Amino acid sequence: MPTANFSKAALLMLLIVVASIISWEVYLRNKGFETFYYDDPALWAHNREMVYEPLEQATVFIGSSRIKFDLDINDWQNITGDHAIQLACVGSNPIPVLQNLAEDNNFKGKLVVDVTEGLFFAPTGSDKRPVENIKYYKEQTPAQRASFQINHLLESQFVFLDKEWLSLGAMLEKIPTKDRPGVQNFKGFPPDFGRVKFNRQEYMTDKFSSDTALQNIVKNIWSFFGRANKEPPVSGARLDSIFTVVKTAVDKIKARGGLVLFVRTPSSGDYHMAEKMGFPREKYWDRLLAVTNCPGIHFEDYPSLNHFICPENSHLSLSQAKEFTAGFIKIISEEKGWKFAKPAASVN
Amino acid sequence: MVFNSYTFVVFFIIILILHNLPVSWKTKKINLLLASYIFYAAWNPPFILLLWLSTVVDFFVGRALYTQQNVAKKRLLLVVSLIGNLGMLCFFKYGGFLLENFTSLINLLGANFHPAKPNIILPAGISFYTFTTLCYTIDMYHKRSEPVKSMLDFSLFVTFFPHLVAGPIVRPPQLVPQFETEHSATKKQLMDGLLLLSLGLFMKVVLADSMLAAPANDMFGSHTTVAALDAWTGVLAFCGQIFFDFAGYSTCAIGVALCLGFVLPQNFNYPYAAIGFSDFWRRWHITLSSWLRDYLYIPLGGNQSGKIRTYINLMLTMLIGGLWHGANWTFVVWGGLHGFYLWVEKIVNDKTGKITAMTSSAQKTVTGFLYALFTFFLINITWVFFRANTFTKAADIFKSMFGMHKGEPLLTTLAIIKVAVIIFIMIIVQWLMRNTKVLDVAYKIPWWLLGIIWAVLLLLLILSQESSSSFIYFQF
Repeated sequence: MPTANFSKAALLMLLIVVASIISWEVYLRNKGFETFYYDDPALWAHNREMVYEPLEQATVFIGSSRIKFDLDINDWQNITGDHAIQLACVGSNPIPVLQNLAEDNNFKGKLVVDVTEGLFFAPTGSDKRPVENIKYYKEQTPAQRASFQINHLLESQFVFLDKEWLSLGAMLEKIPTKDRPGVQNFKGFPPDFGRVKFNRQEYMTDKFSSDTALQNIVKNIWSFFGRANKEPPVSGARLDSIFTVVKTAVDKIKARGGLVLFVRTPSSGDYHMAEKMGFPREKYWDRLLAVTNCPGIHFEDYPSLNHFICPENSHLSLSQAKEFTAGFIKIISEEKGWKFAKPAASVN
Repeated sequence: MVFNSYTFVVFFIIILILHNLPVSWKTKKINLLLASYIFYAAWNPPFILLLWLSTVVDFFVGRALYTQQNVAKKRLLLVVSLIGNLGMLCFFKYGGFLLENFTSLINLLGANFHPAKPNIILPAGISFYTFTTLCYTIDMYHKRSEPVKSMLDFSLFVTFFPHLVAGPIVRPPQLVPQFETEHSATKKQLMDGLLLLSLGLFMKVVLADSMLAAPANDMFGSHTTVAALDAWTGVLAFCGQIFFDFAGYSTCAIGVALCLGFVLPQNFNYPYAAIGFSDFWRRWHITLSSWLRDYLYIPLGGNQSGKIRTYINLMLTMLIGGLWHGANWTFVVWGGLHGFYLWVEKIVNDKTGKITAMTSSAQKTVTGFLYALFTFFLINITWVFFRANTFTKAADIFKSMFGMHKGEPLLTTLAIIKVAVIIFIMIIVQWLMRNTKVLDVAYKIPWWLLGIIWAVLLLLLILSQESSSSFIYFQF
């Protein structure tokens, strides 16, 4: 083939690629898709870098998925004038992040620790994601930082750049296949369950909030996890050692002038019952507050927080999250005495 | 910076523009050198000092080696270069491994020695640029080529970003003359380069990362004993993953260099279509195997010192080649197994001459294909040692592969189908193309068909959305 024909091939390639991408993008937008962000270690590290803001100007949130759904970051920032830095990681234990912040002498700010007992007091295996995130944060290269910025620019413009649901791998996973008996094939959550914004706010779509069939899928996933977890709730010396680790970390932050508060966000239905049975409050939550000598907000204790029925028993919908956030701010500022950039009057 | 990242796309566009500006050749080379340092510093800026040290020391030592007449002084200079280069490599790559083995040995002798684990970060590409600079000083010692006249050309030879971190391992005569005379990429070179870059990224991002990495990682990372089907699928997935990952990188590197008007040596030539192991090593990581042949096997005596010595030299070369890949005894065994295969092949070949006849034949016969399949089977056995972190894990996988124990099913049907389809197509394509080159094929097919295939590669690449993951060979 002469070089001129090679140029024709290149031109044809360019035409096909551009036309296909534009068509795909238009199709997805017409189907109602929006731009979302992949909650990867790079996005976590980007937020981790912000924790050095002064005590009176920012609050860091760590925990698992509940605080990511239940805290409405925009409302928090509008009401308090305080920057909410979301460092919680879904399905994982926040203790590695707590320790990472405790070891960082430059962190002297406000910290809210979300406690989902099944993860916070997990014996093993639930710290993979935070450990990976911390490692990435510590080791990220200048090239990775640059790629993150370019990636952000593209992800904010194109709907089809949604790795979790619209990548080649994710689309192949949708092909129905029958697995051999014994193969554990976790098909994942429905796409509408958890969408992520650039500030790491996670939320359910309106479709999910109103579709009981989708909610039942997630309820079944919680049941699957419950059945798969064969280990009994941690107790005895293992539990003592967890408390010691948490207390050591909290004391380091408080010694530098930082503030730490624990929060137990709402759950409901069978899930909540199972949590109450597995992790009796006096043995876990109450002892956590006593050992660390930190303030805590348990949703069961406040009428403004204890009336929520979680759509899938474990997380709040977007509208519920707004209500929860307003109630949470009121308690944290009026009862726990936390000060924010905006005066207390505006909190009410 | 990795080729499969947005940062590289921006970086490369800027370099292409700068390289085509109407400025002097020297300015273009300075641009390329600075770009190469930025490319490297984008990983870990302090390690650039090591690169400078290696460059400066070897430039002056190389020149002195060439001009020095006194044999004793010449040998001393060579030793300085070897200690400098290999010492750096040993410290960063094998420091922890050596200490671990020394500790085990001392404790075995009854001592109670438990030193703190050293926290040594491996500088990216150190194994590659060490071999690049080493071959220069050894060539200067033997006066195989002229010393590089300018520091700028030598620095660019060592640092030129397409080959810097994972090869192809270049020799001075392959690259330095290209820096000495002014030239730019022809339109053909630019098109060829872009096609190779697209193909390389497709191999890495779509096939290695998006399709094969997960089943391989799941099987090799499994804490349970897996069933035979899963063990074989995992091994085949890794066999494909490492090929597409490393050959993908090399293809990108060659393509990027070509876009700038420079030709890098071929590094892969359809290795899974190899008939026998001599043929395999002429097709897999070609620049490393030829480096080991020229700078290790032949200096050890090669095949010129009798049969027994030839076998020993062969095995030593393969064991060291194995260790080059990683600081773990599993890599040594991987190399040793390849050495053993080469022994057996040499014995058979010396008696019958069959394998040489078959590999040198341009004809693709059914018998040849069956031999290639048998070679492929044996290669997969070696990959178990290469990928498993421990011998216990490797033994466990072998037991599963050969039905010596009943394991649990692990991989999904979709994962098994993906691996089976990709590996099947890979074997067929490599066999059909074993005597040709991808660019030759691209020029033979109609332009519209090439355009469609190229578009499909790029669309799958874009849809994969797998960016910035490291290439496996970076860790070596």
